[in-house]
Amino acid sequence: MEVSLSGVTQRFGAVTALDDVGFRAGRGAIHALVGENGAGKTTLMRVLFGALQPNAGTIELDGKPVHFRNSADAINAGIGMVSQHYSVIPELTCLQNLMLGAEPGWLLSESKAKSRATELAGRMGYSFNWGDSAEGLSPAGKQKLEILKLLWRDAKVMILDEPTAMLSPADSEALYSSLASLAAGGATVIVVTHRLPEVMDHCQTVHVLRGGRNVANSLVAETGSRELAEMIVGHDIDERAVEQSTVGDVLAGVNGVTLKGYRGDDAVEDATFVLRAGEIVGLAGVDGNGQRELFQALLGRQRLSRGSIMFSGEDWTETGPRERIERGLRLIPEDRHLEGVIDEWSLEENAALGLQRLPPFARGLWVDSAGRRDAASRIADRFKTKHGGLRQKMSSLSGGNQQRYVAARALEVAPKLLLAFQPTRGLDIDGTAQVYGAIRQACQQGACALVVSFDLDELLEHCDRVLTIFHGRVQEPPAGLERDRQAIGRMMVGTG
Amino acid sequence: MGDIKGLGARHIVLVLCSFALVWLALAATKVPPLEALGQLVQGSMGSPAAWKQTFREMTPLLIAGLAVFLALKAGLFNIGADGQLVIGAAAAAATAIKVPGLGGVLLACLAAIVAGGLWALPAGWIRAYRGGHEVISTIMLNNIAGFLTVWLVTGPMRDPTQQSGTTAVLSSDSWIPAAVAQPPFSLSWTLPVGIVGVVAMALWLKRTVVGFELCAVGANRTASETAGVKVKGVTVWALMASGGLAGLAGAFFVLAYEHRFYANFSPGYGFDALGVALLSGGSPWGLLPASFLFAVLSSGSSAIQLTGVPKGLNGILLGLLIIVFASVRYRRSRLGDD
Amino acid sequence: MIDPTLLAASTITLGAPLVLAALGGLTSERSGVMNIGLEGAMLGAACATFVVGMQTQNPWLGLAAALAAAILLMLLHAVLTQAFAIDQIISGMAINAIAAGGTSFLGKAMLDETSLLRAPFLPTQTYWCVAALAVATLAFYLRWTRGGVHLLAVGNDPDKSRQMGLDPVKVRYLALVATGLLCGLSGALICSNSGSFRDNMTAGRGFIALAALIIGGWRPLPTLAACLGFGLIEALQLHLQGTQLAGAAVPTEFWTSLPYLVTLVAMAGLLGKNRAPAGLGKP
Repeated sequence: MEVSLSGVTQRFGAVTALDDVGFRAGRGAIHALVGENGAGKTTLMRVLFGALQPNAGTIELDGKPVHFRNSADAINAGIGMVSQHYSVIPELTCLQNLMLGAEPGWLLSESKAKSRATELAGRMGYSFNWGDSAEGLSPAGKQKLEILKLLWRDAKVMILDEPTAMLSPADSEALYSSLASLAAGGATVIVVTHRLPEVMDHCQTVHVLRGGRNVANSLVAETGSRELAEMIVGHDIDERAVEQSTVGDVLAGVNGVTLKGYRGDDAVEDATFVLRAGEIVGLAGVDGNGQRELFQALLGRQRLSRGSIMFSGEDWTETGPRERIERGLRLIPEDRHLEGVIDEWSLEENAALGLQRLPPFARGLWVDSAGRRDAASRIADRFKTKHGGLRQKMSSLSGGNQQRYVAARALEVAPKLLLAFQPTRGLDIDGTAQVYGAIRQACQQGACALVVSFDLDELLEHCDRVLTIFHGRVQEPPAGLERDRQAIGRMMVGTG
Repeated sequence: MGDIKGLGARHIVLVLCSFALVWLALAATKVPPLEALGQLVQGSMGSPAAWKQTFREMTPLLIAGLAVFLALKAGLFNIGADGQLVIGAAAAAATAIKVPGLGGVLLACLAAIVAGGLWALPAGWIRAYRGGHEVISTIMLNNIAGFLTVWLVTGPMRDPTQQSGTTAVLSSDSWIPAAVAQPPFSLSWTLPVGIVGVVAMALWLKRTVVGFELCAVGANRTASETAGVKVKGVTVWALMASGGLAGLAGAFFVLAYEHRFYANFSPGYGFDALGVALLSGGSPWGLLPASFLFAVLSSGSSAIQLTGVPKGLNGILLGLLIIVFASVRYRRSRLGDD
Repeated sequence: MIDPTLLAASTITLGAPLVLAALGGLTSERSGVMNIGLEGAMLGAACATFVVGMQTQNPWLGLAAALAAAILLMLLHAVLTQAFAIDQIISGMAINAIAAGGTSFLGKAMLDETSLLRAPFLPTQTYWCVAALAVATLAFYLRWTRGGVHLLAVGNDPDKSRQMGLDPVKVRYLALVATGLLCGLSGALICSNSGSFRDNMTAGRGFIALAALIIGGWRPLPTLAACLGFGLIEALQLHLQGTQLAGAAVPTEFWTSLPYLVTLVAMAGLLGKNRAPAGLGKP
């Protein structure tokens, strides 16, 4: 089926997410939709999937205009979408998930469904225990189930939003070969991504969005990867060298740390590494390899099953977040809304969150209002957070500005150990540079930093040293290959 | 989300429906609505005796409201205020009977705070360490408190000279005296104490680190834990402190007004206190008008009964009041997608 | 000694209203709507069935009124929580307050001393059969039908369900209609057991049903077992009143508190781990 969107404009309040955007995708090919975070890729696809009703614009399928009131309409018209976080419901079985919303009748006849499910899976070369609960599926298993869900619904147009975000490189390769066979069968496959190598290797056309506008639309074969990167960012990418800090003594030591994961197995096994004063250390790995658990353990929110954590001569193993914050732990969390800020509080109150027991935010057991006000304005100024007054709610800020504020807060009161999990999530190139610049600045004053990211290139660009984590095992690249992209990439998937 | 954004025609419809329901109810009793309203005002504020009754009702509502408010600030629904209040009242009565005099009064208040706090402890512990919802556990504790106190006043604490299940009357030197006594009007010291409590609560929440942390827990538990707040600890002691305050409300009602403890002691003060706390709009100062409003409805509805309007109207009014208010103030904001 | 048949009969008598109400709670909470308003819906039904039954002297009209009243109250819960996005606990509390006040009001306004204070009821065995049937139907429905799976999906994750083309709001409205239906039956049965309407006559049974639901892990058959267990405790209390147990008189109040105590113990995790529907309370 051929898809064509034209003149799509989507506003959220005062923000224009899409401005007169057009998009075409023909059958039998894999089409890439690329752009930076916040460029409007996902928004455009949600419009096509009927999840958003645009302020203006038309959708045509095979040349006929259609109007979707909701996703159910789009599904009926043959459009399917796999979102980044998957829509597998853990409480249901794999088979129930497969059929959800597209059951053949009101009574579920599982034997008939099972044979069709097995047939679909066989076509893709997958296998499933259909009666098992979907809870135990790995990210790759969920992704496969999502693809079968598209087939179950006879989707002619398949939209995949960042399909490899949670997958290992090997699983990603397998996914693209599945997608290629679907396209060969006549499907229209649209992949939303920001990973250019995938575009270059697997897709036929590429469509670039920047700041909610069309930038380019071309055949991959006619486009160079560097040219594409420049179109995405909007200016030349300067490949600058990392400015090294002077590295001092060991500040933090993680010794033989083993951690239990959510399912009771060991999420991190025998991790041993050190952080020295003045250095930024990156932890590279595919999502779900134990980064979260390790991070929580460093914060003091998760107990260690074995091992110890030392910080500047003190044993931190048995201490909680409060004690660690008092000794200089600072955090730029993964999920801002969940862990970093209180949306309905003012900027001023949020400035104190995490630092509430330290001066200038407190004097003994009392809140120091004047100190807090001054600190809040310093924090807002540091990365030029755009705000309408420090008494405004945090939720009045855009995502990027919130991230600037949170990053600045982590650097405000004498940080000694900075922990950052995907610190540039939702930031543009400039914001990213600012945040790393500030981490660098703190490190130059004697702190150390550990940055977790799923993006190896970002870590290689900004960190002094990169460690890898795979299946809960932390490794340091061998001498001579410390900055070797290929070698580290192999270690990230356990083939190093 | 702004407080006003998202309000629209449907909210107007809600308010109109509420008015229509009350009007219908009044029409069913053939009492003209305006006359009923007049009676309500007259019966709650029309005479010194009416004022006395209104302030009497306001005391437990204000202090128990403060209790529920504190828990609500920590993100906890203390529906158990009613149980904590009767347990506190029972403890106060038992203490004051044993120890008369001013020392006895203070000791009784202390006993009530401790008893009410302990009564809330299981709910706090279950919420913090077992993840069980405090609403369900406090409902269970309310019922247990009800039966336990009935057993106490028909058994161990019973005054054998009385027909019904009740303790003996406290000796008058362990009564909390009136601050103003000009019959038929009088005002017990307990209400000013409650108002001081509101001021203290307001300052404590705004000006202390612990208050800041409590509010943080109420607003976002995960962010608070990440920020070094001991969330489980805060959950347990916030519910216990809430229980202690509710217990104190019970003690005040025994020591200042009833002077004894009996079966089915609370006519639902704990539940009304939840309404008071909700209507306060998130600010302790709001507790004063909210508890006054509830007290007016309560003492006024007794007066309305005389004109032939059944007392149940009170419940309808409170329910509608909470709905209309909550539809504006306590909406769950949908999280935007990233 | 206690006559076992007699004990069984009173267990069923006392347990059946709990079963119906707890199943009502199950459809609501499995769809993700926390429901402490069961008590109010039952009370409303008990009042409606008596007032209408008495006026018309027709048991079927009385039953219809019970169902209508409970469904109306549960629809109110649905509107408040879904359309107005009011917190589900606050909405439940408000519904309980309105039902308690409203039934007391109606009771006073409609039932003056002059009217014939008697209403006809269907035989209680009818309700027992319906309750048994409801357990089986619901267990089957949740596992083997499209609607049942949709209910579970919406209760587990409304956002993902919406992505799959389901309409969570619609599913929840329907679930709450079912809740109203079952609570209506429960309220009518309670009224029929006692023969007339009294203020607050459900006496917290809605909360006990909720407790049984939690102990039963939000699953139909274990919930049935928990309800019958509570029924048995209540029956034992009636039969053991005044008798000695292990040499000491156990006060009635202890037996009446027992369901609540058992629930607390269950919530403390001492009876194994329970998992609430993941989407419970989400908008």
